[in-house]
Amino acid sequence: MNKRSTPQSGRMDELRQELFGKQLLSISKGLDYPRTPDIAGAVMTRLRGATRPRFISRRLVWSLTVILILFSSLMLIPPARAAIIEFIQIGVVRIFRAEPTPLAPPNQEIPSTVVPVTATPVPTSQPLIPILENLAGEMTLDEAQKAVNYPILLPSYPPDVGKPDRIFVQNADGKMTVLVWLDPQHPDQILMSLHFLPAGSWAIKKIEPTHIQETTVNSQRAIWAIGPYPLRLSNGDLDFVRLIDGHVLIWEQGDITYRLETDLSLEEAVKIAESLQPIEP
Amino acid sequence: MDESTLIRHAANGDAAAWEPLVLAHQEAVFRLSYLLLGDPDDAEDIAQETFLRAWNHLKRFDLTRPLRPWLLSIASNLASNRRRSAARYLSALTRAFRNEPVSSISIEEKSTRHMEASHLWKAVQTLSMPEQQIVYLRYFLDLSVAETAEVLNIPEGTVKSRLSRALDRLRGIIQHDFPVLAEPRDGQEGHDA
Repeated sequence: MNKRSTPQSGRMDELRQELFGKQLLSISKGLDYPRTPDIAGAVMTRLRGATRPRFISRRLVWSLTVILILFSSLMLIPPARAAIIEFIQIGVVRIFRAEPTPLAPPNQEIPSTVVPVTATPVPTSQPLIPILENLAGEMTLDEAQKAVNYPILLPSYPPDVGKPDRIFVQNADGKMTVLVWLDPQHPDQILMSLHFLPAGSWAIKKIEPTHIQETTVNSQRAIWAIGPYPLRLSNGDLDFVRLIDGHVLIWEQGDITYRLETDLSLEEAVKIAESLQPIEP
Repeated sequence: MDESTLIRHAANGDAAAWEPLVLAHQEAVFRLSYLLLGDPDDAEDIAQETFLRAWNHLKRFDLTRPLRPWLLSIASNLASNRRRSAARYLSALTRAFRNEPVSSISIEEKSTRHMEASHLWKAVQTLSMPEQQIVYLRYFLDLSVAETAEVLNIPEGTVKSRLSRALDRLRGIIQHDFPVLAEPRDGQEGHDA
């Protein structure tokens, strides 16, 4: 219900908000936190160790175990064993190559044990907006440009593409920018997303995409990969394992690796990639 | 020795100077991680990782800025990423098997104050991740608007507008799903919280 805004009602809203804020402050003080563990002791032990042990969390051990089991299973299959040792590197992305295989059927189901986390639209997938709501570092385009030390480029193709609807800068270590365009016909679906990965920040490993193809963007070598495949992102520690089930164009320009996730054709994706331009003031 | 002097020493590789800084900020970092993840083991992992990453990047840290917002910013990002990782997914599955249903006795034993706070936390957990972050920083950790802006790397005006939207949503959630919190409390008027 829209309220008519007057100076008086505006002031009332402010007072209500202020009172509500005070109540939140008061109530939240009663939260029963677990006792803070000896983090300083653990950190200092690890810093002073002659050889710093690699940080592996308990949760990560589980995750790695599952990956190891999957990997071991793949190694039992002769064609996979031959393929896994090959990889293609482009920018910060390393693709472990498998023998090209027929494309997955369009309605292939995602394994229920893997959470699909991709910005690529897939007609049969569920709405992806809730995933975006959990992404950290959302800001405006201007704020994002101030937060990173490389130019954020926007596509000028297709002509009606417009500015991205959602912008994220993830700065746990290096600053990765993610631009997201929503589908105007289906606002709960994502039309495409563009990732900027500065050198030395994140490393990405794709494991056996269903289909990969070499191409060019601005006459430079580029990779076109079609999922589904697990995508591993790491920035010091193994942190994400995502299932990508769309098409991704990857290319490098200067110190930045670009990833364009879209369900458009390779030709269209290359046109978009080649249309990138600095943000107009 | 003040904080900036300790940071300068630590940035030059003096681990002994880093220890008092970890001690000073470990509670805030652990608590924010716990709020975002809801699991003490995960929160401890993230808190340790936060201080190790900060140590590795101290040379890049601007000494004119306070340390705590930077640490909370790292923790917030790591915790957000962890929520979405496969490890986290497995952790949730593990916890689902590990947890026992909350008995009525344990609920009764909890003080009203703890119960209210627990309800409030549950209400906040229904907000989006960015909204949760801003509410935790501003109200649960009692950071100022300026400090919250520093952590989230956004202008203060943006913090205020995002907070306003988050509080509007939270008020609606409380009134609908947590009516016990919406009742007037001792010494306070109104029906908002």
